[in-house]
Amino acid sequence: MATSQNNTGIWVIAERTPTGAFTDTTLETLSAAKALKAQNQEPITAVLFAAPGQDIQSLEAQLGQCGADQVLSVQHQSLQHYEVSLYTQALTQLIEARQPNIVLAGASSISRDYFPRVAAKLQTGMAADCVGLEINPEGQLEATRPTFGENLLAKVVIPRRPQMATLRGKAFPKAEPNPAQSAAVETIAPDLNTDSVKTKLVELCETGNGGGKKLEEAEIVVSGGRGLKGPEHYHLVEGLAQALGGAVGSTRAVVDAGWRPHSEQIGQTGKTVSPQLYVALGISGQIQHVVGITSSKLIVAINKDPDAPIFELADVGIVGDVFQIVPLLTKTIKEQNLTVSV
Amino acid sequence: MKIVVGIKQVPDTTHVKFDANGNVQPDSVELILNPCCGYAVETAIRIKEAHEGSTVIAFTVGGPQAKDVLKRAIAMGCDEAYLLNDGAFQDSDAFGTARILTAAIQKIAPDFDMLLFGQYTDEDLAGITGPAVAESLNVPNITLASKAELKDAQTILVERQTEQGLERYEATLPAMVCMANCDYEPRIPSIKGVMKANRTEIPTLDAAALGLAPDQVGKAGSTVITLNTWRKPRKEGGIKIDGSDPQEAVTQLIGFLKEQKLM
Repeated sequence: MATSQNNTGIWVIAERTPTGAFTDTTLETLSAAKALKAQNQEPITAVLFAAPGQDIQSLEAQLGQCGADQVLSVQHQSLQHYEVSLYTQALTQLIEARQPNIVLAGASSISRDYFPRVAAKLQTGMAADCVGLEINPEGQLEATRPTFGENLLAKVVIPRRPQMATLRGKAFPKAEPNPAQSAAVETIAPDLNTDSVKTKLVELCETGNGGGKKLEEAEIVVSGGRGLKGPEHYHLVEGLAQALGGAVGSTRAVVDAGWRPHSEQIGQTGKTVSPQLYVALGISGQIQHVVGITSSKLIVAINKDPDAPIFELADVGIVGDVFQIVPLLTKTIKEQNLTVSV
Repeated sequence: MKIVVGIKQVPDTTHVKFDANGNVQPDSVELILNPCCGYAVETAIRIKEAHEGSTVIAFTVGGPQAKDVLKRAIAMGCDEAYLLNDGAFQDSDAFGTARILTAAIQKIAPDFDMLLFGQYTDEDLAGITGPAVAESLNVPNITLASKAELKDAQTILVERQTEQGLERYEATLPAMVCMANCDYEPRIPSIKGVMKANRTEIPTLDAAALGLAPDQVGKAGSTVITLNTWRKPRKEGGIKIDGSDPQEAVTQLIGFLKEQKLM
């Protein structure tokens, strides 16, 4: 079945936040699916995992408004929360039964866990963390994804079916709802083996970051580096982040030095951000940090070393003393009531 | 406790240089133990140290030069290491690599309790191999881990960093944990460790020894085909503002942000 070329349809696996709303990457994946549909004329099916009795009608409707032609509402008591074995079983069964051509999901801590398993089980391929998708003249999905320490981009194809891919956050625009559109909803009760459940989420400690904003999803990020000289000066970063309404990030050096928690680390062994505005304070621009910020729309750097590599990447840089400039900048933004339009 | 670590030798992508055409300059390539794999080895050794009688077995897929990372793993404290090398393995994608590792684990350590892999390699950044091996071996996996330690002989506690914050998981062994980053750094091997690594024989296993058919591995077994790669477009250096007059610099910066319609 894996090599069959008769598969048809573009699937989007929807994912929800703990509060029940769709994640941003789900809406972005729907818009990417719409762009593919415009090229291959295949219908879009959104797949939603839920427990029976969960109030999901408005979510199903939202998927239709955001471009899905059909919604498969997969309901099972054990699907209320994510679990690797159950999601793997549920999606694998569904793909085997319906044979879609393309299966997409946002790249997230959930899809990174189970999507490769589904692909392995179906003996097909998967392109991870895609930043571009298109249908080539042969009708294949061509996926563009970062590789080689984020230095290179690669174009890949998957000869087998379905063609699976995860989409990097913010690489695609969010689908805008059209109230006039709706999708046919089909409810499915999968047969899942719950004996295979071997993992359990025992605790979730939400990281308070710049007023609760998630670093990866933040539209504005202010980060500090070793140029701040010590954790006692990090209030400069926090103050500017607050004035701009953004999240706080850090370099690896700062985290390794114990000034800041790991959850704030941006870069190669940390998080990847793609905000509208990234402000780097006292950051030299080591490649291991830079790889986490290259998708930022506009980068501002303040550093006293005119030869710091960060200035090669920054759209605008101030060569100067962060201890003098940042307080002034924060004060000016507050006094003039300036807001960032994102 | 029998712990398997799957590791990879990669070019140090943080120091590699490119020519004008975007090709890697070969003389700038230094081969290292993949950073996430370093965390996997370190975590395995920590678990071994805390639980007497544990053994750690390292596997890597690669050419003869990849023995270097296996030696490093032994120098850090692993007990055994196996090089999975065959001409047919060349150009395997992540799924093919997972097939090779699965076959090797089934042959050498079928009675494993735990698998510790890196979340992704710097070379490929895909994060596929670990979960794909876990699926083939029918064990659960927890990815994006920043910490893993035993709760008891049957249970591992794992912390993972997600969009929601820090998640604490428990998994029943045997299980796969994919390490992304940790609060601790991989140890530098001691002189004693390096001497032990030099004494330890590192067997090589090929496709025949692992019972792998040529169409399961290498290019023939790949389900993700790379058509081409190119250098990620780099932005030109932007505007530089002289900060010797801080007030003037701030005014200029805000002016620029307004011009860009960002403020």
